[in-house]
Amino acid sequence: MKSSQPKPDMSRRKFMALAGGTAGLAAMAAMGLSPEQGECSPNIPAIDVDKMTYAENEADVLVIGGGMAGLFAAVKAHDAGSKVMLVSKGRLGASGQTPFAKGIFAFDSSSEKMTLDEFVATVTRSALGTNNQVYTRQMAEHSLARINELREWGFFESPLYNKNFTKPIKERNIALKERIVITHLIKENGSVAGAAGFSQDEEKILIFKAKSVILCTGAGGFKPNGFPICDLTHDGTVMAYNIGAKVTGKEWNDGHPGRAKNAAACFDGWHGMFERKPGITGVEVHHDLGVDLNYKVYATGNAVKMGPPGAGGREVVAGGPYVPEEFKRRNGPPQGEKGPRGGRPPEREGGAPPPGMGEEPVGGSSAGMAIHKSEGLVPINDKCESNIPGLYAAGDALGSYMAGAIYTQIGSSLAGSAVQGAVAGQSASEYCRGVEMPAISEAKMDEVREEILAPLKRESGYSPAWVTQTLQGIMIPNFIIYIKKERLLKAALAYVEELREHHLPMLRAADLHELRLAFETANMIISAEMKLKASLMRTESRCSHFRLDYPEMDTENWNAWINIYKGSDGSMQFEKQPFDSWPT
Amino acid sequence: MSIEHIKGCIGCGICVQTCPTDVLRQDVKTKKAFIKYPADCQICHLCRMYCPVDAITISPEKSIPVVVSWG
Repeated sequence: MKSSQPKPDMSRRKFMALAGGTAGLAAMAAMGLSPEQGECSPNIPAIDVDKMTYAENEADVLVIGGGMAGLFAAVKAHDAGSKVMLVSKGRLGASGQTPFAKGIFAFDSSSEKMTLDEFVATVTRSALGTNNQVYTRQMAEHSLARINELREWGFFESPLYNKNFTKPIKERNIALKERIVITHLIKENGSVAGAAGFSQDEEKILIFKAKSVILCTGAGGFKPNGFPICDLTHDGTVMAYNIGAKVTGKEWNDGHPGRAKNAAACFDGWHGMFERKPGITGVEVHHDLGVDLNYKVYATGNAVKMGPPGAGGREVVAGGPYVPEEFKRRNGPPQGEKGPRGGRPPEREGGAPPPGMGEEPVGGSSAGMAIHKSEGLVPINDKCESNIPGLYAAGDALGSYMAGAIYTQIGSSLAGSAVQGAVAGQSASEYCRGVEMPAISEAKMDEVREEILAPLKRESGYSPAWVTQTLQGIMIPNFIIYIKKERLLKAALAYVEELREHHLPMLRAADLHELRLAFETANMIISAEMKLKASLMRTESRCSHFRLDYPEMDTENWNAWINIYKGSDGSMQFEKQPFDSWPT
Repeated sequence: MSIEHIKGCIGCGICVQTCPTDVLRQDVKTKKAFIKYPADCQICHLCRMYCPVDAITISPEKSIPVVVSWG
């Protein structure tokens, strides 16, 4: 530890008084900065950076993320003959969005009235062409097989998934590392070579060498209030972007509302749904939870009353997002990601509102998140493969456009994670057979270690909590990412670019928890920039992207997805990829 | 406060492992769980649901100001 830094047991106030005197404190208070809250202040480390230890691990296939996609990726890569390691920021089956998903879709051709072809065509009509039909079909085609495996593992017997996720991992003796924050993907000689991160429980940096990496890191948001994704900050997307992967889907928005009262209490807002056992859903195609309801609230200034027809939810407001006639709601509230058929829905007369839609709903509980599976790494084929050799993604980390840019099939989000996890696991394992274990140079390891430790080593800087709250203040208001227009998108972008240029390099951390927050905050800033720039670029309105200044759908110019990648000069680059095509 | 109190903790550490946002830690000496980073609680109740002795009580109020899209 450097001698200029105060000892960990010294209080921040005492240090400030010594360093700047009371005049310094008064000046900071006048600027609105409180040294007690530590927005911008000296860093007082609680740990000794010089005592951090290092550990190297090796596997054929490294799976990052312990949700539904990660589970199947690890199992299938193992079963295909690879040595697998599964690393999770949280606990297996208890982090990301998986613990809160209670409906899983099964396409059972023996009981459905619709054929697989008809199902894909119906989803495509609802998604207004934004879906990748290959992934829509793949999800439906493989869903029942994955559900049968889940049933064997006991998935449908408990509302808590850790035990039944652990079963197939233990049976196969797959190496599992939990509470590890992965901060870097490592690329050597043009191919993926592993990843690196740190433990939240011991002062240790971990390097993972692998022939192939599968990102099952979920999507993310801006740690929004009322939606259980505050541990998801697009870590996978940003890490992959940093090594040259293409990402997509940043202009789309999940439109989940939350409650006005105790807005942050997602458990309460979801009416105890988290305590339910999961169930299976059948074919039921919608056009849900885009921003049409949010537009109504924006236009009228009133919370939209949910509930049965006649309860106020059917008030007609001119303009707003286009909903195809075939999929217009006629019977009460939108169903969205409602729980499983046959499960116990929230008790409400005449119709049950989906999560977050009871009482007085206000928009934006999931701010920063797109429609499931519409954002993430760009797949170059139907094998969940990215443009970086050896790097795969599955579930919400893959921009597969399985459902399109709007919610189409209830329960398909969880089914899609299972299906894609399995596909990615098998594909990654096949890839490994043809490659040698990559070498990671000492120089690369040193570089990564230094980057991981940088926030801990900073003697002063910005607290990740303050930067996150500032970012929320910029991105979450309804007139930025929900009801979009050029002037406001540009205004928000100016703030976000300031955070990226000036504040991101000065994020500080006093302990391992804050180190995690520092990386999460940095990832959210990059994601916000992507979101604003992609929203500016798409000069039309469709599905969950609504531009007040371009309210119509533009099929002539915009039957295309937007891909984002890092240019050779480090700048953020954008390109169009026509719907129903693969990257060239 | 999001997690209000922890009473009757047996020190098994499951809640610490379970919390998606790393709010809880175990006391080094007593092994009992305590709320170390309350501002990061997303009020999802996973810790309470996984606790084998039902020791955790949670309130719906967030400990820091809440930013929402519509006020």
